[in-house]
Amino acid sequence: MNLALLTTQFSQIGQILISLILVISVLAGALGMLNAASKQPVAIQHAQLMLLLINLLFLVGFALICWLHYRIYLTLPLQLPKEMVPWLNQEIGTMNATSAYAFPLFDPSHPPRYIIPLWVENEKYYFWFMCYAIMAFLAFRRSSSHRLQGTLLIFAAAQALILFTAANPFNDPLPKFFSEIRAWFSGGLNPMQQFGEFMRIYPKMIFYYNTPYMWLHPPMLFLSYSAITITFITSGFMLLQRDFEIETLGYDYAKFGYFMLTLGMLLGYPWALQAWGPNWWWDPKICSSIMMWAIYSTFLHTRLYANKRSMWYFTSILGILCFVAMVFTFVSSFYFPGEHTFQ
Amino acid sequence: MIGAQHVMTHKKTSYDFFLILATVVVLAIISGICVYGMFYFKFAQLQNMAPAIKGAYMERMNQIVSPFIIALIVILAICVPKRLLPTGWLNRFALVLLLLIGVVVWFWGVVMALKVALCVTLVLQCLVLVLALAGNQRLNFEKKGYWLRVGSSCMHLGLILFILDLFFYKQQTLHLALFWVCTVATVLGMIGCFYSPYLAEIMVRRRRDGQ
Repeated sequence: MNLALLTTQFSQIGQILISLILVISVLAGALGMLNAASKQPVAIQHAQLMLLLINLLFLVGFALICWLHYRIYLTLPLQLPKEMVPWLNQEIGTMNATSAYAFPLFDPSHPPRYIIPLWVENEKYYFWFMCYAIMAFLAFRRSSSHRLQGTLLIFAAAQALILFTAANPFNDPLPKFFSEIRAWFSGGLNPMQQFGEFMRIYPKMIFYYNTPYMWLHPPMLFLSYSAITITFITSGFMLLQRDFEIETLGYDYAKFGYFMLTLGMLLGYPWALQAWGPNWWWDPKICSSIMMWAIYSTFLHTRLYANKRSMWYFTSILGILCFVAMVFTFVSSFYFPGEHTFQ
Repeated sequence: MIGAQHVMTHKKTSYDFFLILATVVVLAIISGICVYGMFYFKFAQLQNMAPAIKGAYMERMNQIVSPFIIALIVILAICVPKRLLPTGWLNRFALVLLLLIGVVVWFWGVVMALKVALCVTLVLQCLVLVLALAGNQRLNFEKKGYWLRVGSSCMHLGLILFILDLFFYKQQTLHLALFWVCTVATVLGMIGCFYSPYLAEIMVRRRRDGQ
């Protein structure tokens, strides 16, 4: 199958899905606003059904993303003429001799293929917001407060709006990836150019797209970000009322979020050593991640004493601060330069 | 300790409370230093600088943060034996530890003192873990529950190992081996600490099925 046709089909189906997600989310968000403002629950069963539908659509879209990635794996091997292989492997061998981490040698019978993780480029927002939608649904079912349920819906609607307007993964699928490989797959390269191009895209394939860490580190952080969002909402409610049911709900998500954040950060460590060498400590993103982890740890420690009135409010403020730190950490990837930058 | 609060109960202000407050203050200062580092990196345009300048920046940040890492280590070193000792003995232990650190700083320098403090903490934490695994009821935990105690001990062991491992940064094989031990300990610790009721339930069910 032609890749252009493949991405076109992917875009067409994806656009329909994301439009449906947006429409239902906006309706659910409106219902959420009504519930958040009202003293009595308003059509809460319908709201739950809408949230379920949003989740199902998200999952179908995610399956579509999986399909595109699988097609890329099948259709885009980095093939080289056989006569170039000994020379290339000699060069790779020389590089490996002076490097702590080795590149695999080129095997013409099994040319390297892209195993692109499902959370690169705009897909990361899709994954993140899908995780939030699933967690919001679970929290919705557990909660008996219609105001909290309404707020969960408002956040889902806001995320769907961001996804549709600013981070749509179906609009222009994987633009950076396709621009990186365009020269290689356009053909017409002489052997010297082909070698140069291979050496340009191969390290990124090995240390970025195909590394197992890429399948662990980012999704864990996005799961954590989604859980922090739920904790943020419950912390906001804790500032307004001393409701232990809401507090327990927020704490359950905080535990899960902390688990994912800690493990995700830890798993990023050996990867950073491998991909960047030693010169990445105190990189802005590392700084902000440590800050976020420190605030999160503080939140969980102060929660031990949340039975004291002052500590109840202090814990709630820290829960809100965790979310602010998370947004700051994520946005910092755009504003601050460094190894993690999205600039 | 983080997970030792599945059901909130009333607690009086205690030694534990002040240790937690001290931890909170130190973590807040470390957060502030991190924010400073981010803006410094941006405005000094370090990404475009030579590796030597980047190295100098990392060294400077290490120096700024080190007193607070020392404070965190000292708090850890006091936190760990509180599981084993009553308050009176804990005060004596803290005093002896501070004296020991002072002596080591005087003769061998700050880095060696930190290593000593961490090694003492590590040995004590291993002891706490062994006792928790053995189900010893005399350990001073805020909450009861076998898995919670084992998890909390394991998680704090992971944290101590992580800090200790930073000293072996240049010995890559040892550094990475210790790192993976720390990661496993932290993960098992978090599972035990955060999900102890579920673990206890699974164990009870398995025991029941086995009978």
